[in-house]
Amino acid sequence: MKTILKNSRTRDRVLQGAVLVVTVGILLTFVLTTRHNLLEQGIATGFGFLERSTGWPINFSLFEVTANSPYADILLAGLLNTLLVGVLGISLATVIGVIVGLMRISDNFVLNLVGTTFVEVFRNVPLILQVFVWYAVLTHLPSPRQAISVFDVGYISNRGLIVPSLDMSALDIILFFVGLGFAGCAIAAAGKTNETLKRHAWSAFGAVCIALFLILLFSGRSADAPLVSIPELRGLRFVGGIAIKPEFTALLFSIAVFGGAYVGEIVRGGFLSVDKGKIEAARGLGMTAFMVNRFVRIPLAVRAILPALTNQFIWLMKATTLGIAIGYPDYFMIVSTSINQSGQTIELIALLMAGFLLINYVLGFTMNWINKRLALKGQAS
Amino acid sequence: MMKRFTSALAGAALAAAVSAPALAASGETVKTIKGRDSLLCTGHNGSYLGFAEVDDKGKWTGFDIEFCKALATAILGSPDKLQIIPVSWAQRFPALQSGDIDVIIKVTGWTMGRDTELGLQFARPYFIGPTNILTRAELGATSAADLEGGVFCINAGTSIERIVADYMGAKGIGYEALNFEKAEELRSALYAGRCDALAGFGPFLAATRFNAPNPDDFVILDEVLALEPEGIAARQGDDNFIDVINWMVSALLMAEEHGITQANVDEMRANPPSSSIGRLLGATPGIGDRLGLSNDWAYNMIKAVGNYGEIYDRTVGEGSPYKLPRGLNNLWSKGGLHYTLVLD
Repeated sequence: MKTILKNSRTRDRVLQGAVLVVTVGILLTFVLTTRHNLLEQGIATGFGFLERSTGWPINFSLFEVTANSPYADILLAGLLNTLLVGVLGISLATVIGVIVGLMRISDNFVLNLVGTTFVEVFRNVPLILQVFVWYAVLTHLPSPRQAISVFDVGYISNRGLIVPSLDMSALDIILFFVGLGFAGCAIAAAGKTNETLKRHAWSAFGAVCIALFLILLFSGRSADAPLVSIPELRGLRFVGGIAIKPEFTALLFSIAVFGGAYVGEIVRGGFLSVDKGKIEAARGLGMTAFMVNRFVRIPLAVRAILPALTNQFIWLMKATTLGIAIGYPDYFMIVSTSINQSGQTIELIALLMAGFLLINYVLGFTMNWINKRLALKGQAS
Repeated sequence: MMKRFTSALAGAALAAAVSAPALAASGETVKTIKGRDSLLCTGHNGSYLGFAEVDDKGKWTGFDIEFCKALATAILGSPDKLQIIPVSWAQRFPALQSGDIDVIIKVTGWTMGRDTELGLQFARPYFIGPTNILTRAELGATSAADLEGGVFCINAGTSIERIVADYMGAKGIGYEALNFEKAEELRSALYAGRCDALAGFGPFLAATRFNAPNPDDFVILDEVLALEPEGIAARQGDDNFIDVINWMVSALLMAEEHGITQANVDEMRANPPSSSIGRLLGATPGIGDRLGLSNDWAYNMIKAVGNYGEIYDRTVGEGSPYKLPRGLNNLWSKGGLHYTLVLD
């Protein structure tokens, strides 16, 4: 017995096991106590409510959700809305950030001033205020009856931007982009040797997707249904086309601009962190300015930028919850309304946390993976 | 024989002595309130005009607040023994269950889900809430059907969301629901023209119209989408507290029915015109003992806040900026839906 205890590995394992048991025990007690108390108070528990119809509609979702849809559907719609505004917002923020960051490190006085002003203005005003400002601007546009017409096919009003749309289903669009993606891979592979087989496989798959897309697009469509749906004013609203709602636009703008200011600073920091000596060495080797940037400055800067950028991306994804302030039905707002309508507070809060954990974990994981791939071999990342 | 009679008498007296306190025992909630010497009642996160308004000094007024005061007076004898806890619509149920508040008086619709699944118990409705539509006058709409395809702004998480969906669905009228969490954003969206109409609780619409930059730009349609009985809610299982609330509401209505006002309540108590008024105001005992309260609780309450009609006029009716007609909230004898329970 004594010898077993003396073995430090065994001792550590026993200790770790004990800690684990105690932790699980405490958590289990929490769950059981909560459950007991809820039952005592006569509150229904469990996830059975997910199958019940909500009885209330939302005005913006990527697939059709009505008042008869179950809670599971409306929650999924909310999650997709969050992803839509989050992913687009982060992409825009990155583009803006790179431009602003480069402006700030440039030697041109005007560019520098513009970049600095942008960062100072949008970084220092709280995000929620920016959301309100953009939303107020967008909702004070003229009403649909006095909408600003863009060549009679698009309209700008306080109901948002209404543009013509292709009359396609979601499946059509997915196939189209998958096809496009594979075709792109085939073209990219074309430049490399020893990739002939792979290229053929890719282009074949791409062709199948495009063919499927075309078949789906034209089959099952009545002859008089136009391929392009052009919006027109009927009564109080525009019929046809696709509407980009002001709630979405305001949130997207705010995240893009606010995030852009932060990303700009991260990009600037990344570029400034590149050792001057390395640039000089590259020049000394006779590299052109383009080559210095392409092979030395940018690769080194990107490595410095990525970890901070991951943080910023996750932060911005969480900022989508501000949608609730202006009525954008994001995941947080849908959960909040569902709590009120169904009363299943604990279950819904758990779903809310799980949803954001999943999104942000995937985001963080992907960024870390990219970071690892890019890290200089033989150096601590 | 005589001995047996005496012992029977003694037994009866003993039984009465034992049963009397049982009759007047307070429930858990009332005991807690008395122990704290203060009632924790619902306010609002911001102002819900007409019902729970807070001024820059933190003073609360409104229809619901008056009922909080009435309940505080009934239990503790003074309208000042009251703490208004600001809670949002969503927080009200968890706050009640956790004991942060004693009672929900917050225009809360009596729904089956809340009654059965949230561990709530409702007392008799104290307000009848019609759901109406407030729309922009320039649209020229006279009914919901004229608003086909319009955008409806609705308060997220309230029963209005479902009422509108059911009503419009049944009539086959298409609409787009734009939901906001906070009343302030809801209003500014309507004022800015983001939505064509605001569906909601009648009194809230009256306040929204009153607060508009130009009230004449907006009209409330006559159409009633639904009628929602608003109840005062307490934690499930405290029957005594529900009794107290039921009789509090009833006493306020009874006072109005018999013409007892804040001004004449002293006179009425001194010379009750009828025996039921005497019972109500505690000139003859009974109204308090049976609830575990003092016998003059109804008197104190009317003295503090007035009768139902007075509360209504002062907060949402003719005496307020909102000028909401009594309508269905009048007494049955005047064409409304309110009636009193029988005070025997």
